[in-house]
Amino acid sequence: MAPIIRIVNLTKKFGDFTAVDHLNLEVEEGEILGILGPNGAGKTTTLLMLTTVIKPTEGTAYIGSYDVTKEPDKARTLVGMAFQEPKLLWVDSPWDILNWHAKVCGLTPDERRKRVRWVLEELELWNDRFKSVHAFSGGMRKRVEIAKILIQRPKIAIVDEPTAQVDVVGKHRIWNMLRDLRYEGSTILLATNELYEADALSDRVAIMHKGKLLVCDEPKKLKDSIPGGDVVEITLEKDASDKVLEELKEIPRVANVLAIKQNHLKIYLNQAEEVLPKITEFFMRMNVQVRSIRMSEPSLDDVFAHYTGLTIEEAQRE
Amino acid sequence: MAVKPILTIVERDFKYFFRYKWWVAGMVSMNLADLFIMAVVYREMVNRNVIKDYFVFFAPGLTITALFAAAFMIGREINMEVRREISHYMLSLPIKRWELATGRVLAGGLRGIIYMAPLLATTLGITYFGTEGKIFPGPLEFLTILVTLFLVSLGTSGLSIALAVSTISFEKYITARGVVYYLLFFCSTVFYPIGLIERALPQLTLLARYNPLSCGADLSRAFLLRNPPFAPYMLIDIALYALIFVSVAMFAYMKVIQK
Repeated sequence: MAPIIRIVNLTKKFGDFTAVDHLNLEVEEGEILGILGPNGAGKTTTLLMLTTVIKPTEGTAYIGSYDVTKEPDKARTLVGMAFQEPKLLWVDSPWDILNWHAKVCGLTPDERRKRVRWVLEELELWNDRFKSVHAFSGGMRKRVEIAKILIQRPKIAIVDEPTAQVDVVGKHRIWNMLRDLRYEGSTILLATNELYEADALSDRVAIMHKGKLLVCDEPKKLKDSIPGGDVVEITLEKDASDKVLEELKEIPRVANVLAIKQNHLKIYLNQAEEVLPKITEFFMRMNVQVRSIRMSEPSLDDVFAHYTGLTIEEAQRE
Repeated sequence: MAVKPILTIVERDFKYFFRYKWWVAGMVSMNLADLFIMAVVYREMVNRNVIKDYFVFFAPGLTITALFAAAFMIGREINMEVRREISHYMLSLPIKRWELATGRVLAGGLRGIIYMAPLLATTLGITYFGTEGKIFPGPLEFLTILVTLFLVSLGTSGLSIALAVSTISFEKYITARGVVYYLLFFCSTVFYPIGLIERALPQLTLLARYNPLSCGADLSRAFLLRNPPFAPYMLIDIALYALIFVSVAMFAYMKVIQK
């Protein structure tokens, strides 16, 4: 089956800055594809090009069979987007915003009434439906933004950081609603910098950094693909010197060492049960006291770190 | 069907306009105060050999002023949408871009006409009771006034949208708006007849004569006061103004706004 989204060499430059750099990606119909990356990775710019809000500098994307550069009007009929920053005029109420959105998306008055009521109740906005969004918290505004797409139920739903600023209960509710949306037939493209969100929701995850696609696969396969599939996190009493870090890497079966902080190391290795005693012995020999040791499964952060040498947090700070 | 999406866009812009209904009512009151206080006082100050009755002369001009100000408001809103990136949402909607652009321009034009309506009604009363022959326009004349005022409103809406999307910074937009206001109002026959401009500032005569606001005001005066006489160039001028700025606005909204 042909992919429902086909991105071909998609590039966007703002002056000398390349926000998206020759991106190639395919999205299958009915899947949830997570685009994971730190702020500035090019996720939002990619999504804006797919919704034809901004024009690619080079390359193109096909939404269904429509080329976004040649048939943007047709491409938009298949797409709906919930933006990262809620795009609301502050004089509006959720009731007006959602009713108008439903109308412009072509819903009949009967469907409109049903869906607007349903989504407002589901997102716990029903009691505040006539209040101006000016009085709303960031999380409430975000819920109004996501409500648009849940009402529209487009063929391709594009959601940009759907649960940023939303509380934990709200996050789970939105995730479930996005899953339901997929079961009703929508393909979902989800941009996020939250690792757990990408892991929990996505069938496949595309990791982006500095405008480039690093890798795209199922979360489990991505995690399994890291050489040194075990992760040991060690916190030291004092900062580790560069010499310690270098020698640590020399220990057999240690694949990589990442200093999250100078006294907090993440060690990627194979056969942890055999290597761990050697590591503790090494620290004793180097006269570095260990405060704690924790073993964990690799996460998408580890996948990101494997490809960039940085954690998402570090990449965000860059 | 293109009509439905366009009307949905118009509906949104109408809602915003009437959300500020008290502000709109205040503005209409201020315009009426301009007419009933300023114009009445000026009537006593102005040489009656030059303008027979300034109050009656000014009423159609004020209608154009109000129309222009109301139609121009859409630009301020679009400028704000561009600055806050609400325009991204508008551009992502599943409707054709030309429908979106048409809806915005049309909404601006219609808002101008609606805002102007009470002032036009007042003007009709003033010119009827204020003229010796109790002049009242015939149906065709009245229709011509309405159509031309709508065209002025559309052109102004287009002008303001073109300015709004080409000058992203609010300061630049406000400055550009100020320049346009001054140029169009003071180099026009909205406040004074062309004869005075010819005498006082002859170098501005051409601009004042063909300024679409002058043509709008004078066309109304032609049918409401029988002076100056109606001339076809007024209609052509206004139609061109509307055509040019509606086209520019649609182009700007469809192309410039999409980076």
